[in-house]
Order: sequence, then C-alpha cells, then structure tokens
Amino acid sequence: MIPLYRAGRSALHRMPVGAKFLFIFLAALSASIFRENPWVLLVIWASVLAGYVLSGLGPGALLAQLWRLKWLVLVLTLPGLIFLSPAETAFNLTRVLAVVLLAALFTLSTATSDILSGCERLLRPLDPQLARFGLSSERISLGLSLTIRSVPVILSFYSEIREAQRARGMRPTPRATVMPLLVMSLRHAEETAEALAARGVR
Amino acid sequence: MFNRSQHQTPASPATRSAPLGTSSAVRSISQMAMFAALVAVLGQLPAIPLAGGVPITLQTLGVMLAGAVLGPWRGAGAIALLHLLVVAGLPLLSQGSGGLGAFAGPSAGFALGWIPGAFVVGLITQSSWPLRLWRTITGTLLGGILVVYACGLPVMAFQLGLSLEQALLLNLAFLPGDAIKTAIAVTLTHSLARAYPAPFTHARERRRPASR
Repeated sequence: MIPLYRAGRSALHRMPVGAKFLFIFLAALSASIFRENPWVLLVIWASVLAGYVLSGLGPGALLAQLWRLKWLVLVLTLPGLIFLSPAETAFNLTRVLAVVLLAALFTLSTATSDILSGCERLLRPLDPQLARFGLSSERISLGLSLTIRSVPVILSFYSEIREAQRARGMRPTPRATVMPLLVMSLRHAEETAEALAARGVR
Repeated sequence: MFNRSQHQTPASPATRSAPLGTSSAVRSISQMAMFAALVAVLGQLPAIPLAGGVPITLQTLGVMLAGAVLGPWRGAGAIALLHLLVVAGLPLLSQGSGGLGAFAGPSAGFALGWIPGAFVVGLITQSSWPLRLWRTITGTLLGGILVVYACGLPVMAFQLGLSLEQALLLNLAFLPGDAIKTAIAVTLTHSLARAYPAPFTHARERRRPASR
C-alpha cells in the first residue's frame, strides 16, 4: 500500500502539519462561505497554483491530480447543466476543484507518518475523556498501525479465496467471496489480539 | 480453510472473552483494525457494473457489516480508524482514492456518514441475541442507507448548489445497488452469527446482563 505522499524538501514539505492543515481548512471554509465571490475564488486558485509550484511538485503533479479528478469534473458538471445555469455550474466547478486540489496538495506534501504522529499528539491531552470509552491515544495509534498492517494480509486472504474458487470453477459472487473473507479476517484479528496480549499489550 | 475455521470456533474465543477483562480492549482494537482494513480491501475489489451501467463497489457493504458484526461502538470505531488513515494520505477508499481530497469533494458527506451509519446498524441489529432477522433488516436499511444518505445528500446539495430533492434525484441510480448490498449484508450477518458468533459481543452481552 503506497501512500499518496511525494517526498520532497520544499518549504511546503517542511511546514508544520497543523499549520498546513489549518490553512487548507480555512481556504475551504472561505470558499464555501463566499460561494459566488470571484475574488475569493481567484485568491484560492492563485494559492493552489503557487502551492504546486512552491512544493516543487510542478505543473506535472497538478495535471496528474486533474486527471485523477476527471470523474469529479463530470459529477460536478453534468448535474449543474441539467439543474443550474452555465454560470452557476462554472462557479461550482472551479470552487470545488480548487478546494480538492488544495486538499490533495496537503496529502502530496505531508508524510503519512507525520500526520499520524500529529494526530496522536492532538489526542494525548484527551486521554481522560477517551478513557470513558475504554480508549487512549496509545490504543488508537495501535489500531492505526494494525490497520495498515492488515490491508496486505486481507488482500492475501482474498487471493487465496479467489484461487480456491477458480480451482472449483465457482463464480466469484459477493456472498461467496465476502463470507470466507469475514471469517478469515475475524480469526486473524483474534490471533493478533492473543499475540498482543501475550506480549503484555493492554 | 473455511471449513476448518467453522469447526474450531464455537468453543474457544466466545466463552473466553469475559474473564479476560483487560485483554478485551486489545481484542476490540484488533477487531476494529481488521474491519477497517476489510472495508478498505472491499473498496479495491473490481466494481460490479449494475444494470444501467452504474458501477457499485462493495465498500459500503463493508460499512454495513462493520456495524452489524462488531456492534455500534466498535463498528463506528472501525470506520473512524479507516477515515483517519485516509486523511493521513493512504489510498484506502474505493478504487484507490484517498487523501484529504476525498473529504473535500461533493461525496464527502457520504463517507463521513458511514460512521453514524455503522453505529445505527450495530445498535439496531445487535439489540438482542440471537439476532432477529427483522431487526437486522431494519438496522441495515436505516443505518446503512438512510443515515448515510441523510449525511451525504446535504453536503452534496451544498457543494453542487442544488436543492435536496435534486441531489436525491441524482443519487437514485445508486439505490438499487444499496438495496442489493443490504440484502447481502443481512444474509452474511446471519450466516456469520451461526458459524462464528465470537465477535457479536455487544448482542451477546445484551442477552444476560444480570448474570455477569
């Protein structure tokens, strides 16, 4: 599982995670509040372009992102053309695209591990509140790393199941595939929990 | 491998979960992580094209199952874990999409609605043990469809500048797929409850609260 992050050493890459997140959040919020204000849109688009240049990812990355978003463009355009005027559609399209591109810039320029450790720091003062749900910031981090580790495990379960189905000439209906996947995954969860308990993790 | 697991299950984990008070937290975390990963994997499997060309992914089937199998708290927690990792930049949503951008577009509300959705599915499905078919069906319909749409449609309407009715109209094409996934989720939940009842702790504790 490859993170969407692209390594780099630009100013944007070195910016603190929280500040970067806050900036994008405020940009998205102002785009949503001043929906029909062309100047706000212009500023946000300028910061999108500046961001992609500053990040050292260049116009290639911007074009690649736009290509990834081709279905979103369709989703944003078609209903607008049915229900709204072309001008309103154009506004919606440019606004949502700018916000999504900004958000993508955050993802491209921030290492997954940095976001996760930032998240743990954010949760640590909440430990007393989390304890009421039987949680703690440590347990949440454990859950996050277990999830990352489990994705390839479950993918390997899936290919095992598909092989067995192919050997028997079975059709891969959702029911016939998901049921064994569920049992294998839950059993694996049980084994993982036992292994963790045996190592003294509580 | 499937048959073997069916034979071994009934005795071991189900009866053991209560006395090991402290380790049950680790077990819950492990189950939530596994379900978060399962929902992610279900989103990567090839989409099934439905009549009319609307492709459906099995990701929301995973959301319904998370609530129905793990119960409200752990079910919603599994989806929350998944979303945290998506925000952190892993491509775990359907067809390899992910990153913060996944929560900035018009369908952000649907993905966020999975958390309360899984909660409601679990709350209604696991309100008794043994599971009742009518409870599972209402729970999955209410949580897996109604709650998710109630979160998703306003966001979509706002982002696209449409009215709620227009947004609903746009999403009608997905309802048949959701209905099929509900049916699959209900049958899977009931087969699983018979074959491997260990994870249904929320419902099983509901049955005899006084005896513990």
